Amino acid sequence: MRKEGPMILTVLSALVVLFNNYFFLGQKWGLADPLNNWFQLSWGIALALGFINLTSIHWKYVQRRREGWFYSIVIMVCMYGYLILGLEQTHNGPQFDWIYQNIFTPLMSTIFALVAFFITSAAYRAFRVRTKEATVLLLCALFVMLGRAPIGDAIWGGWSKFVSNWLMGVVNMAGYRGIQLGAAIGGFATALRIMLGLERAHIGGTGTQ
Amino acid sequence: MLMLLAQEAAEQPKPYLGVFSQGSLVDFLVVVILGIFIWVLVSRARTGRKIPEIKKIAGLEAIDEAIGRATEMGRPVTFVPGIMGVDDPMTLAAFGVVSHVSRQCARYDTRFLALECDPLAYAVIEEITRQAYLEEGRPDAFNPDDIRFLSGEQFAYTGAVIDIFEHERPAANIMFGHFYAEAMILAETGSFQGMIQIGGTAETAQLPFFVAACDFALIGEEIYAASAYLSKEPVLYGTVVGQDWMKAIIWVLILAGSIVATVAPKSTFLADLLAK
Repeated sequence: MRKEGPMILTVLSALVVLFNNYFFLGQKWGLADPLNNWFQLSWGIALALGFINLTSIHWKYVQRRREGWFYSIVIMVCMYGYLILGLEQTHNGPQFDWIYQNIFTPLMSTIFALVAFFITSAAYRAFRVRTKEATVLLLCALFVMLGRAPIGDAIWGGWSKFVSNWLMGVVNMAGYRGIQLGAAIGGFATALRIMLGLERAHIGGTGTQ
Repeated sequence: MLMLLAQEAAEQPKPYLGVFSQGSLVDFLVVVILGIFIWVLVSRARTGRKIPEIKKIAGLEAIDEAIGRATEMGRPVTFVPGIMGVDDPMTLAAFGVVSHVSRQCARYDTRFLALECDPLAYAVIEEITRQAYLEEGRPDAFNPDDIRFLSGEQFAYTGAVIDIFEHERPAANIMFGHFYAEAMILAETGSFQGMIQIGGTAETAQLPFFVAACDFALIGEEIYAASAYLSKEPVLYGTVVGQDWMKAIIWVLILAGSIVATVAPKSTFLADLLAK
């Protein structure tokens, strides 16, 4: 019953969501609404588990004086401090909001900005002319870049834009949509495998029946 | 007042064919047809009849090799399941891979680190890993601290994963799931560290990054076939073949669409039919 219970719940939930999505009555009755609420509730409980996991790991780092243990203290102070502030002020509180806007958001933007450097190093490796495929990739990238930058227009007039648009709109789009179609069917099939109980990895175990 | 009520009634969505929500009939038919294909192939597999083979997927073949390398080097294997939750099909597909990887790590006594961004995915992956260690007869080797919830925020999570890559120095990194901008940062950091990296996602915008920075990349639908492929179960193989049959139907529709668009460019018959 340890596995059958969750399996029955999975199948019932999936049937409710399917009925809600495809059938008029399902939408009219709002059948999936309670499920969405339960999902949010489960998420909140799981977040508490995550909180405990983080605390346990970093507390051990501090106790064992592991390299960089000081940062574990910083994490715990920030985590619990922000939690207490949030509980006291709610998410609209002035200090709570100030910290989010002026500390959290710039920190996130800083890490996001790293993408530019990593793209450069990855592009260098990908575009090195070692094989025929890499040469084609390099030439396509060159034409697309020239089509998107003013220098392309200065060299070839409208041609660079035309070639770039053709590569993006025809060659790239064909591949993109092919992958999307395959992925959509794959997603459907995965959902059906779980719904039919053929795949059980999500309830622990081998991932097979 | 009556006019307002009439207007409101007119604005209410109406069922299509008296039963279906507007625009959902074709979606529903796709699910039904796919379900029939899967049922047919699963029945064939269960009665021992032959199932068509599926092609070899190099990235999945390389998973055991990567774990073997980590075992030889005495270094951990990391698993990054993307940043989305359990309501995302890519995360669900990643669970099958987690199960296989954690099982192999338990078998070879290799440290397995799973790094989570979504709290529900964290709870599920912890259960999958615990079960895998139990079924391999090594429950004592399971360390709950190695299944880590790092942060629910995308870039805080990214920073934490980079830190773990640098401090724990894993020999192999397996990334399966739904990734966004963090894909490039994580894959490149792993590449700088000299890990064997296997990346898989159906998020088309991030695929080029995995192709450029990982040793093996699984493209689009391949990640959905992963758990069936790794299980080597004929019944699950059958479900992947069912996907291919469905794709054949879509090829026919694309061909029909191309012919209609060429012969009668103004006709919207096929587009209208599929939008029902």
